[in-house]
Order: sequence, then structure tokens, then C-alpha cells
Amino acid sequence: MFRHIDPRSPIPLYVQIANRLRVAVATGEVVPATPLPSVRQLAAEIRVNPATVVQAYRELERDGIIESRHGAGTFVRELAEPKRASERQREARRLVRALVAQASSLALTREDLDHAWKNETGERP
Amino acid sequence: MIEHAIETHDLCYRPGPGFELRDVSLKVRQGAIYGFLGPNGAGKTTTIQLLLGLLRPQGGSISVLGRQVPRDLPRILGATGYIPERPHLYPFLTVAQAIRFHGAFYPSFDAAYAEELRRGFDLRGEAKLARLSKGEMGKLQVLLVLAQRPGLLVLDEPTDGLDPVVRRDVLSALLDFCSQGAATVFISSHLVHELERICDWIGVLDRGRLVAELPMHAFKNGIKRIRLDRAPSLVGDTPFLLVSRQQTALDQVWVVRGWQPTMVQWFQGVGAEVKEIVDLDLEEGFIEMLRGARTPTS
Repeated sequence: MFRHIDPRSPIPLYVQIANRLRVAVATGEVVPATPLPSVRQLAAEIRVNPATVVQAYRELERDGIIESRHGAGTFVRELAEPKRASERQREARRLVRALVAQASSLALTREDLDHAWKNETGERP
Repeated sequence: MIEHAIETHDLCYRPGPGFELRDVSLKVRQGAIYGFLGPNGAGKTTTIQLLLGLLRPQGGSISVLGRQVPRDLPRILGATGYIPERPHLYPFLTVAQAIRFHGAFYPSFDAAYAEELRRGFDLRGEAKLARLSKGEMGKLQVLLVLAQRPGLLVLDEPTDGLDPVVRRDVLSALLDFCSQGAATVFISSHLVHELERICDWIGVLDRGRLVAELPMHAFKNGIKRIRLDRAPSLVGDTPFLLVSRQQTALDQVWVVRGWQPTMVQWFQGVGAEVKEIVDLDLEEGFIEMLRGARTPTS
């Protein structure tokens, strides 16, 4: 699940971890009440500083995505559909922003991108 | 509780005419995973040997775990797990014997944890050290220092020469240990990408001087490569620190430190056009920082 965590990215690692979980919750990849790995497990598994995992979990807890139950661990919360939709939107915007930035640095036009999009999705043979 | 697990003031050491450490003032926060970066020959190993009393400085002071070096060395070393650059273990011992031998020096040694690590690392207790592969020796070194349950780990290139699979196992074990308590880790390496994942502080040593010491996020966010049109030839006061500038065929490329987004206005003020601002990863930032430390630009 955290395969795409990229330490070389300028996006802080804790933000990358939090975003990955946000998306997983928003798309239903991770269902409510799923227990999350402990800080210790996750830090060792993806080889990041434990403080980084703590920071990611803290942010998700603050945003109401997960909750920690004392002594029992950390769990995914039940999210209302509007909230899930807004999280999906947020991720989509992030993807598009990165794409637009890269395209503009390569001087690609909107038409180039539209064309490639349709090819890729099979809307155009 | 002490604030800094390692603190030096104006450390100086001159083994001969060819090399010296000068005015090295380190501050390693308690609980940090501190990456000590520097090119080969910068003085990383020498600094570590000074910290642990293996060499005596000509000037400056050192405190480790809140105690003075060299006065309190026995207590400091009792609470420190150290993997030297060239570890020494007796080749005629077996893995199990090496664990018992090492453990005998440390009252805090946790034999049950050592056993757990041995299984996790897939090391056979009856294997002779002389027969171990390089990767197995690397794992054994890490096992021995972690099982001490030290308050401070000092690791001098702990994964140097190990293959990626072993490096991964070793780092996972190290991070698992860090999750369990408030140990401080001081790790020297030139494998920059590895440090980028795990460290929260960075110190950069170059030619015997500490050229930077800052939190990882500050290091990564504050250093940028900027492509400019109509760059000013003379640079006066800048709100950022100009690390290097380079004229290419198409434009001029500046590397700056201490960058904030609002500083784009400064370029407008001097009539330059900012064409692109690129984030640097740790390795690029490290290289640029060394370049800047060696050739002052203003």
C-alpha cells in the first residue's frame, strides 16, 4: 500500500503517508473499523522514522479520518459519503496540479493532453 | 532529561599537516535520528572517534548523554552502541558465542531481544564468524548493538557494502528499536537516499568543518535550484543565501538556501525573470551545498 512513498519527493514523508491513507479510505480500498498497523510496525515496514508515522497518524486523527482507541490501537473511522467525495476530489486535484505543472514546463498544450487522455482511456481508437 | 545526546563546542583536532577538524560544534537532540553526511575524507570517522574518546581533541569540549568526555567515558560507553567503520569480532567464535561475549560487557544487554533479532535476521547460532558472509556480519553487528538497548547508537557507515536486501532488514530492525524508546541515533553515511528516509536531522561535514546542521525538512524545503533570464551580474543583499551560480547556454542557474516563496519578488526587483524553481532532493542539495562551501560566490 505504501509502495509509492518517495523519500526524494519535496512532499514531506508524513504528508505522503497521510495522503495515501486518505485516498484509501475515500475510495473504499480500506473499510471503516480496519485496524491500522502500529507506529512501530509501519515505521519498520516502510523504513521511515517512527516520528514520521506518528505525525501522519496525528494529522489523520485531527481530520477525523482515523481514531485511536486507548490500548486497542488505531482504526479507520466511518466517513459520510460527502466527506469521502471531497477527499477523492482533493486527491484528483493534486494529481491534475502535478500533471499541469509538468506539462507546462514541457510546453505541452491542453489539446496534447486531451488527445493523450482519450487514447489512454480508449475513448478514441 | 538532557536536551542534547551529543554536544560539542569548537572541537579541534590536527593529526598532521594534511588534515584538521576545526571548530566542529555539533548539537544532536535527544531522540533524533541524526544523519552525519560528508564526502570520503571529510573527517566523519575522526569526529566519531573523538566523540567516543578513542582520540583526544586538541581543543574544544564534548558531552555525550549529558556527561563529559573523557572524564565520564566508562558510563558513556556503557550506554552507547557503537558500530565502528572496521568492526572487529573474533572469527573463531560462533554467532551464539559472539552474542554472549559482547553481552558480557554490557549490564543492560537483553539476551531475549538478541535471540529475537537473531531469528529475524536468519542467523544460525552455531555458524562460525569466519564463515559468515559480509551481509551476515553486517546483521550480526547491528544485532549486538541493538541488544545492548543503548541510549545512544553511533553507527559509522553501518550499511556500507551491504546488498539492498540486507540493508533493508538492518534498517527495519534499527527503526523497530527506535520505535520502542527514546534512543538517539547518530549515523554517518554517504548513502544519501538511505538517510533521506529515516533521518530527522542532518549535519554536513566537509574538509574538517561542519558546513550545515539543520532539521531534514528545513534542509529539503529551503534549498532550490532556480533558472533565470536576465540574471543580475552583481549580487548585493539577497534575502536568501546564494550557494552557487552557473551560466548555461540558455539561462543562468542559481542554487539558493533559506528560500521562501515570497522571495520571487526580489528577482522581479532586480529585473530578472524566474523561469523555473526546482526542489532538490537530499543528494542534490548535499552536492550543491558542498560546492557552495568550497567556492564562495559573493
